[in-house]
Amino acid sequence: MKKIARRDKMKIYGDLLTILQYEINNEKIVLTRLQLKLNVPFDRLKQYLTELKDLDLIEDVTSPKLTEKGKEYISEYEKVLDFMRRMGLEYQK
Amino acid sequence: MLYYYEEIRIVIEVVSAVMCFILVRFMIKPYEVTGESRYIGLPLGFGFLGATYVLSAFSIYLPDIFGGNTFYIQLIARTFAFLFIAFTYHFSKKPTKNSRWFWKITLTLLFILLIISFLIVDLPNFDNVYSYRTADIGFRVINIIIILYICIHTFRSYIEKPSSTTIWIPIGYAFLAVSQYSTLLFAIVVDLSHYTIFGALILRLIFLSIFLFVAIRTFYQKRR
Repeated sequence: MKKIARRDKMKIYGDLLTILQYEINNEKIVLTRLQLKLNVPFDRLKQYLTELKDLDLIEDVTSPKLTEKGKEYISEYEKVLDFMRRMGLEYQK
Repeated sequence: MLYYYEEIRIVIEVVSAVMCFILVRFMIKPYEVTGESRYIGLPLGFGFLGATYVLSAFSIYLPDIFGGNTFYIQLIARTFAFLFIAFTYHFSKKPTKNSRWFWKITLTLLFILLIISFLIVDLPNFDNVYSYRTADIGFRVINIIIILYICIHTFRSYIEKPSSTTIWIPIGYAFLAVSQYSTLLFAIVVDLSHYTIFGALILRLIFLSIFLFVAIRTFYQKRR
């Protein structure tokens, strides 16, 4: 695995939801593919997916899809990251 | 009875305060979404700035009630507002293991210092010890140094990733620095024209307008 800066949970949630958004056209989302893109151990990925399901941000843990609430969250999340970039603030790239 | 220029100044102070409070709503979003307490300095900074503009308006409108120590309080609170913003920028670039603790210690120390400063100002005969003019000059110089630090930080971010969207914030802070410099000149040269202070107030309005423009464009612009 490539070495990346330590991310906090919110950043991982954001990254995971962003990946799911890009994968929106795929019939079935493969978890190992998600794991590679997110760069976390598989058991941790499953834990995050369960937490996101509990928050009602995704529909299913085995083949996760964004809920309406998840789409709204990711839209707000991207806007805030863009705002921080414009403000000259850094957020664990 | 207020002079004409005092009425204009009150209007500008109130408009500045309203703009600051609108900005607080946007500035709190990084903290809300990321849950990182180091971003709380931005809404705190703009909130304190807004409060000082309200105090400034009251001290002109009702000098008998809000005169004296209120002038010192707004000077101190404004400097602390800039400090909150500067420390947010400082800690945003260092997401290390201990940075969260350092930020919490810094924030606590800032609040303790702020309360101590207010208590000192509240001491009887305080204005006999320090003249407002001396304090004004001192705090303005500190403000300029803090804003220049923020300016350099944001400009460095722009240099790292040059984009038409990231240039506005360092420009905004530069306007604020020049505005503080103008008020410093007004404090040093006693018989300077009122145009200097109004120039400073207009520069401040430009700074706040730039920030509002950036925030509204980011959050309300339609995306593909």
